[in-house]
Amino acid sequence: MEAPPVTVMPVTGGTINMMEYLLQGSVLDQALDSLLHRLRGLCDNMEPESFADHEMVYLLKGQQGNPFLLRARRSLAHPPAPWHLRYLGQPEVGDKSRHALVRNCVDVATSHSLPEFLNEMGFRMDHEFVAKGHIFRKGSLKVVVSKLFRVLVQGNTENTEPLSLSYLVELSVLAPAGQDTVSEDMRAFAEQLKPLVHLEKIDPKRHM
Amino acid sequence: MGVTCVCQVPVAEGKSVQQTVDLLHKKLEQLGAVKQGSFCVDCETYHAAGSTSGQPPKLLYVMHNSETPLSCMAMFEGGPCLTADGNFDVLMVKLKSHFQNAKSHKVESRGARYQYCDFLVKVGTITMSSSARGISVEVEYCPCVVPGDCWNLMKEFMHSFLGTNVPELPSVFTAKPEGLYAPADSTDTMTQYLELFSKVRKQQVVSGSTVR
Repeated sequence: MEAPPVTVMPVTGGTINMMEYLLQGSVLDQALDSLLHRLRGLCDNMEPESFADHEMVYLLKGQQGNPFLLRARRSLAHPPAPWHLRYLGQPEVGDKSRHALVRNCVDVATSHSLPEFLNEMGFRMDHEFVAKGHIFRKGSLKVVVSKLFRVLVQGNTENTEPLSLSYLVELSVLAPAGQDTVSEDMRAFAEQLKPLVHLEKIDPKRHM
Repeated sequence: MGVTCVCQVPVAEGKSVQQTVDLLHKKLEQLGAVKQGSFCVDCETYHAAGSTSGQPPKLLYVMHNSETPLSCMAMFEGGPCLTADGNFDVLMVKLKSHFQNAKSHKVESRGARYQYCDFLVKVGTITMSSSARGISVEVEYCPCVVPGDCWNLMKEFMHSFLGTNVPELPSVFTAKPEGLYAPADSTDTMTQYLELFSKVRKQQVVSGSTVR
């Protein structure tokens, strides 16, 4: 029953700001197998990992400015696992030559009381969806190939319908702010996936 | 993780906060308890900015316990409670335009941690804005998680060093729908600290009590 170390340093001062670097693309359902095959060859040798997640997007409307957005995600495949709460900031408007979308990212693992807690804070659920697919890793690069499903009746994840006839492919890296070599590595990896899938920087604002 | 009871010990007649804490340490050492490091429990208060007119702003408390250094507990008084990892504090910084940190309301209890067989006793000085406001004592009986099964034993143990200051059965245990036989968890410990800190915040400053 040793005492755990007592940290005097507050968490808020001097935390490293983590940034998410992101490239996205898509493949039609028919092309999924060849993409998975190539990813299995290019990525780290591990058992292919599949997942089924339910994500709810919450908004907090303030008095001024844009509403604050938080994403709460839970695993349908592993119900006892903690919930994953994610904040994504505005994309960094840097030089156009930067190859990936860069935004501030805060990830928090939480207990299962998250939806009630968010409601108590004043957040309201804006929309929800189910994502099922596969995840691959190559060093710090993460590739997620997933199919998105629309939830027809709120809260009922059994009754869903696919959003499209394709799979979303996302290549992402989580790194501390200021590491610009990351987007170079991502671009090099994305080249190896052509012509099966074209991964590019997609600005979410342009599609709103 | 066992059953925990958190209570406040009044400052001894004619003595300072530090002297009362030292007396408690001496009693524990006489019993045979061994000092094992230190502990710290703190509580920060956030209030929702721009709340609806007329209603008092909702208060969100974010607490940390050195016993679980990688976690934090966020709770609304009498409302839902969330256990999260350390990044929750970073998230609260991002939310600062919606939830303001009332820095002057931060309360913490710091002190020595003693082990006596299966019991863990933490005697802490409660401070708010660097002034000592009282003394907290936390007693944890580690082997058991059901309050109904070990409360009598805990009371007897507390009597051996707290004398007449033994507390009543904490209301967190009686308030549960399943009663005394529902397993206790870290939320119950933090709820007790929150109740204690709220009480201390409302009390007058103990005279001559700046932390040395």
